[in-house]
Amino acid sequence: MAEPYLVVEHLTKVYERGHVVALKDVSFEVRKGEFLVIIGLSGSGKSTLLRCINRLIEPTKGRIFIDGVEITKLSPRQMRKFRRRIGMIFQHFNLIKRATVMTNVLTGRLGYNPTWKTLLGIFPRSDRELALRNLERVGLLEKAYVRADELSGGQQQRVGIARALMQEPELLLADEPVSALDPATSHSVMQYIEQMNQEDGVTVLASLHFLSLARRYGTRIIALKDGELVFDGAPEEIDDRKFKEIYGEEAEEVEIR
Amino acid sequence: MATRGDRAAVDRSRWDRALDFLYFGSKALGKRLSLALLDVGAVAVLWILTSYVVIRVSTGEIGYTLLPWWLVALGAVEAAALWESFGRSFGHRVARLELRRADGGDPALRQKLVHWLLWHVGVIPVLPLLLAPPPHERASGLTLRPFTMEGRIPRPWWRTSTGLYMAYLALVSIVAAVSGTITWEDLVRLFTNAGATAKFWRSFLSPDTSIILRTVQALIVTVFMAMTATAFAVLVAVPLSFLAARNLMRGLIGRAIYTVIRGTMSIIRSIEPVVWAIFFLVWVRVELAPFAGVLALFVHSVSDLTKLYAERLESIDPGLIEAITATGANRLQVLRYAVIPQIVNPYISFTLYRWDINIRMATVVGVVGGGGIGQALFFYLKGNLWTQAGTVMLFIIALVWAIDYLSARLRAKLA
Amino acid sequence: MAVKPSAAIDAARLRRRLFALFLDWLTWGYVAYAVMYFLQEYWWSRTLYGFYNPLTLPGWGWPAAVLGTLAMAALCELTGYSLGERALKLERREERPLSREELLTGKAAGKPFWRTQWGVMSILLLALTVALGWHVVKISPEALLNPSERAREMLGEIFPPDFRYFFTPDPAFELRGFPYSILNLMVVTVFMALLATVLGAAVALPLSFFGARNIMGVSPAGWFVYGIVRGFFNVFRSIETMLWAVVFAIWIRWGSPLAGIMALTVHTIAALGKLYSEQVEGIDPGPVEAVVAAGGSRLEVIRYAVLPQVVPSFWAFTLYRWDINVRMSTVIALVGGGGIGDMLFYYKNEGEWALLGAVMATIVAVVWAMDYLSGRLRERIV
Ligand SMILES: Nc1ncnc2c1ncn2[C@@H]1O[C@H](COP(=O)(O)OP(=O)(O)OP(=O)(O)O)[C@@H](O)[C@H]1O
Ligand SMILES: [Mg+2]
Repeated sequence: MAEPYLVVEHLTKVYERGHVVALKDVSFEVRKGEFLVIIGLSGSGKSTLLRCINRLIEPTKGRIFIDGVEITKLSPRQMRKFRRRIGMIFQHFNLIKRATVMTNVLTGRLGYNPTWKTLLGIFPRSDRELALRNLERVGLLEKAYVRADELSGGQQQRVGIARALMQEPELLLADEPVSALDPATSHSVMQYIEQMNQEDGVTVLASLHFLSLARRYGTRIIALKDGELVFDGAPEEIDDRKFKEIYGEEAEEVEIR
Repeated sequence: MATRGDRAAVDRSRWDRALDFLYFGSKALGKRLSLALLDVGAVAVLWILTSYVVIRVSTGEIGYTLLPWWLVALGAVEAAALWESFGRSFGHRVARLELRRADGGDPALRQKLVHWLLWHVGVIPVLPLLLAPPPHERASGLTLRPFTMEGRIPRPWWRTSTGLYMAYLALVSIVAAVSGTITWEDLVRLFTNAGATAKFWRSFLSPDTSIILRTVQALIVTVFMAMTATAFAVLVAVPLSFLAARNLMRGLIGRAIYTVIRGTMSIIRSIEPVVWAIFFLVWVRVELAPFAGVLALFVHSVSDLTKLYAERLESIDPGLIEAITATGANRLQVLRYAVIPQIVNPYISFTLYRWDINIRMATVVGVVGGGGIGQALFFYLKGNLWTQAGTVMLFIIALVWAIDYLSARLRAKLA
Repeated sequence: MAVKPSAAIDAARLRRRLFALFLDWLTWGYVAYAVMYFLQEYWWSRTLYGFYNPLTLPGWGWPAAVLGTLAMAALCELTGYSLGERALKLERREERPLSREELLTGKAAGKPFWRTQWGVMSILLLALTVALGWHVVKISPEALLNPSERAREMLGEIFPPDFRYFFTPDPAFELRGFPYSILNLMVVTVFMALLATVLGAAVALPLSFFGARNIMGVSPAGWFVYGIVRGFFNVFRSIETMLWAVVFAIWIRWGSPLAGIMALTVHTIAALGKLYSEQVEGIDPGPVEAVVAAGGSRLEVIRYAVLPQVVPSFWAFTLYRWDINVRMSTVIALVGGGGIGDMLFYYKNEGEWALLGAVMATIVAVVWAMDYLSGRLRERIV
């Protein structure tokens, strides 16, 4: 297992508007099957980092390799193809609110199907079956033909997970997947992600706000502060001193069970 | 959609650079020049309105200048110079700026004097504004900086120059408006001649029942006019709206298309449908009256709907676009699954709203001969058939009311 | 006691059923109208002032039409092919949880839209409407593509516009006792809009509080006043400015700016009043409670809890209305309201296209500038 799966080298991102330096020379490596948690204060650049990895945001400088492919070199067209291998879930779920759960899950297959068919809403039978199976997996089979905005937050996030599952991804990017949920629901959603990680061998990069969640689910933690990588190590290594270093002197750790 | 938002940011700065070119690459010039123009303009408007009132009241004629033009222009420039140097001018307020010493303190009298004297050299020839800071600011040691209320007590409006200016402007424009539009005889008639409309109101109580079927048919034609115009307008406005949405049209070419479409639309919109109807009545001949009316409504609706649609497109949630892009979808798929679901309901809602307006407009367009119920109304009015005209009016009110209610109910449902 | 709610539900369901029947009846009435229209156009060809009127039926025709359409509606209701039921989201389906198999094979998804009864019927109706609309409004692409002689002449002359009478008054209007130059009349037009907006807003402002449910809905008398004010707003709003102008032109004088101002004002009062009072109804009740809790009177509540919340949107609505009034005042002369429209319609009647072009260009410039100005100001305020 010597070969790392994801390599980020000297990644820098400067937003032209407002001249914000969101990431400063960030480098790290991730092995296949790892559950990497990214922590950091609000505005420290977690979302920016995750979006650079599937190039929803164009990095200003630096290189990113996934499975040996330098994705920062890919043309937009190639990148679109490559994105099929990278699933993503979001803090605010980002579902099509007015469409059924089924349609939402099927959008995970957009990259695999010919454009003209998907524009008419036609998906092959195998995809529909896969969608239903994935919905069953996240416990939402009953809701398949319900409108997405009729679901609770936790259910919506599970739909988001099912959508990501449809891509049959090797890598999952999760941007604060549980920030909008209550503690109990958070754990149920995190367990589905953990299941993906352990059963399907999907490498997971998740940004989380609660250190307790990070310790519970992460196999490794990196921390960002003002766009700089300030910590990279095992969850147990974060002690009180480290914590204050990442979150500032005034911070107190909050438990979430 | 962070990529797009992000690229838009880059484009915006490119666009800004293009604008910079107009200011000879100097933001400072643009800022100070527009400040000066605002102040000179403000003073000039006030002076012209005052002259209008004085001439109108003293001689009964229409005129805009008591003094020669060049004197007015000079006076306005001089007043602006004084205003900007010795107080917080209108322009300062609009731009939320103020003149302060370098250390942030209040300007001293000597500094204000220097600022005023050198203002003439610094602003009037325009080019010295390219220097940063320009001569009048450098010599007086004063700078323009963002206004803040921090650590200060607000003055009541009547103790600020801009407050007094606005009050005087409001007063003088109302007096000018009254003196320019209302004559004594008209006013007397307004209060004494209400009886002239009695025959009209009477018909509301006893409508002419023999024309009901004819009127209802005209009403149906009007509804169809509005419907047809709206339907065709939607077909054109939907694709146009994508070209007129700032967030979708990026790059210099995109921005050019955006600007051209938005500009054309706002010109078309500033001509009332009635005027368009006149134009199209000439174009397609009078026998096809309803068609001319439809064309007039259509043209106006396209411009209005394009604007409404595009504004809605500009405010869509980028999160969904991000999510669909992340699955590996291409642009068309993103459009189909991330953009369209977000705009369908608002588009329908705007269309209903426009349909409602078109019904009202269709009644008006009929008055110039554009067909439907309006034409019937005008026919009776011309023939001094007051009872019939009143009856038709009753029907128009009922129709407009019903459609207004219906469209409001449907829109509430969609929201 | 347990019976009562279900009886209430039954009554509600019955009412919805009846409403569905009514909708179906309307639909069939519409179909009957369309059929009559086509019959007249292709068979009877009876026209009145150049219009077909399918509503003129023989004496027995009306009862037959009413009963026939009602029968069709009832038939739809009975066989389940009912648009009304679908529109009201009533469905007849036995309630039964779907099995896992059914869900997995996608049976629950239902037929695609165009194969449901609702889909078929609405597509047929749409086709009928398109066909009917095409005939009723006399759509004629060839007329659009082959403009008349006069239109060619107009296009030829309108460019370049002739600004001869921009400053100097046009002698054609000498009898009006007012120097009719484009500039003078444009100023008058803007003044008309200004006065109408100011007057209208000044009247609508106090009235709007009487038309707000949350302020007036405290006593029967309050409800009464509320009803009157709202009714006034609604009735007066549904009479277009142009129709008001007709009334005031008879009242005051044809072509008097005052007639135009009054027409604009009346409509402005009603339209602004409605917008204002809706805004008052939509305020956050928190501050009101706070002022009441502090012992404030009704007027103090309005002054310290309501006004601060609504003033920005009041300004925005007023500016919006100002914009509309400028547009309207440019054409209100058509029905005797005065302003630049006087010249516009005079030149149009005389076929002075070049002079007309100058008037139009000025109108576009001024309306556009006012639109821009009010848009910018509104952006600032909100
Ligand atoms: N589109 C953008 N344009 C300009 N600046 C941006 C943009 N997006 C983010 N930023 C800035 O980049 C920095 C990093 O933002 P980012 O969203 O990555 O932080 P984050 O760690 O995800 O914060 P949060 O926990 O609040 O989501 C912030 O200072 C933010 O203001
Ligand atoms: Mg974030």
